Amino acid sequence: MTRAGTMAGLANRWGFHAVLLALGALMLANLNWPLVQSFEFVFIWEYRIALLKGFGITLLLTVEAGVVGVVFGTLFAIGSQSAYSPLRWLVGAYVEVFRNTPLLVQLLWIHFALPLVTGINTTALVSGIIGIGLQAAAYYTEIMRAGIQAVPRGQVEAAHALGLPAWTRWTRVVLPPAIRTVIPALLNQNISFFKATAIVGLGLLVGDFFTAALRVSNDTFHFLEPLTFAAAVYLVLGWQAGRWTLRLERRLSRGER
Amino acid sequence: MSFDYNMILRYYPELLGGAWVAVWITALSLACASMIGAVVCIGKLQKHGAANRLATAYIDLFRSIPEIVLIIWVFYCLPLLFDIGIGRYSSAIIALSAYGGAYMAEIFRAGVQAVPRGQVEAANALGIPVFHIARRVVVPPAIRRMMPALVNFLTELLKATSLLALIGVSELTYVASTLGSKTFAYMEFYTAIAVLYFMIIFPLSVYARRAERRRLRRTGN
Repeated sequence: MTRAGTMAGLANRWGFHAVLLALGALMLANLNWPLVQSFEFVFIWEYRIALLKGFGITLLLTVEAGVVGVVFGTLFAIGSQSAYSPLRWLVGAYVEVFRNTPLLVQLLWIHFALPLVTGINTTALVSGIIGIGLQAAAYYTEIMRAGIQAVPRGQVEAAHALGLPAWTRWTRVVLPPAIRTVIPALLNQNISFFKATAIVGLGLLVGDFFTAALRVSNDTFHFLEPLTFAAAVYLVLGWQAGRWTLRLERRLSRGER
Repeated sequence: MSFDYNMILRYYPELLGGAWVAVWITALSLACASMIGAVVCIGKLQKHGAANRLATAYIDLFRSIPEIVLIIWVFYCLPLLFDIGIGRYSSAIIALSAYGGAYMAEIFRAGVQAVPRGQVEAANALGIPVFHIARRVVVPPAIRRMMPALVNFLTELLKATSLLALIGVSELTYVASTLGSKTFAYMEFYTAIAVLYFMIIFPLSVYARRAERRRLRRTGN
């Protein structure tokens, strides 16, 4: 038994390494070596304009999700605190519907079914922008609601007691500390939406970064290089953004103490 | 606009079949993800060394790559890379299990770390065998603690199965798309599957929220 008292003692150190080495050897032995030797990453350079354009759309959707989400999420969260119960139920229903159905289904519904209701046909990109915006608003409402409920009740009651008008109460007393506490959660959620842009892209063929990579694959009949490159880009960006968020979260929580 | 209920009445066996596919793929992926997650969690619980680094790398890798990218990558690239034939269903389950393993590892870790150290140390002091400690002292409270997170992840996994439509796995979303393009009754079918997904996922997420609130009230952490 290594280091008593931890679950870690369970894992026999050498056994673990042996299993890992065996797995690695098995994978290497079964790799399709002729294919690996024929890797050509030059395609990524040749199609750099298409990929960059796609990346622009990915960024656009990410930023849009963040902006729309924060603005409407804040408004809906304020609505969820309303004394008027139908408004509360409406916000609650909206949040539940958009959080408990898959994004792809929402996007397909908006792109194919909504025009039958409204009579307005939307392009794939517009449908994607609407869809990810609606879902972002639902997720950010939950986050903002948590932030608003974390504001000490005494401060809100003091604002009431001082007779501050509702506008001043929300913009000066409740929202500033509420937003400050949820900044890390908002950023983490936006990283999730950065990942979700690939769903928008492929589900509606919006031409985002991942769709562009897939098109390069179809053009060149080389699947591994473009798709692996795309995965690596998402990995590096998402991972780095996650680290920055974590660091910010630590700094903010230090500042509070 | 008219909502043609007859479409749904005529094609509901197909839709329910799609829902069933989504459910069993979720169940199978969750089982595989739990196994991967348990191994990765043990690696992550090591304080240092290669096992910890590998587990951290695994978790970071599969949590940072979008699920859809992973699904497509496994479907197109894995068969090429190893020169083997993998069907749609297998590659779907491989992708979802690999993705789920990273999240399950973090859920397991949170559960295990919530077990009071004193209890484990007491069991150690009493000379109880390590495996027995794990089974009787660590796992029961850990499972109680992680149930909300686990059910929450189950809803995420169910939602992720809709992405399998993009590689042609005939689950709910795919069935609705094909029926829609056959009959042009997009409105009816997409509404029907949205309702079906909601009916499956909503109770789970209500349970997860209630359980989490109950746990917070009882333990305060």
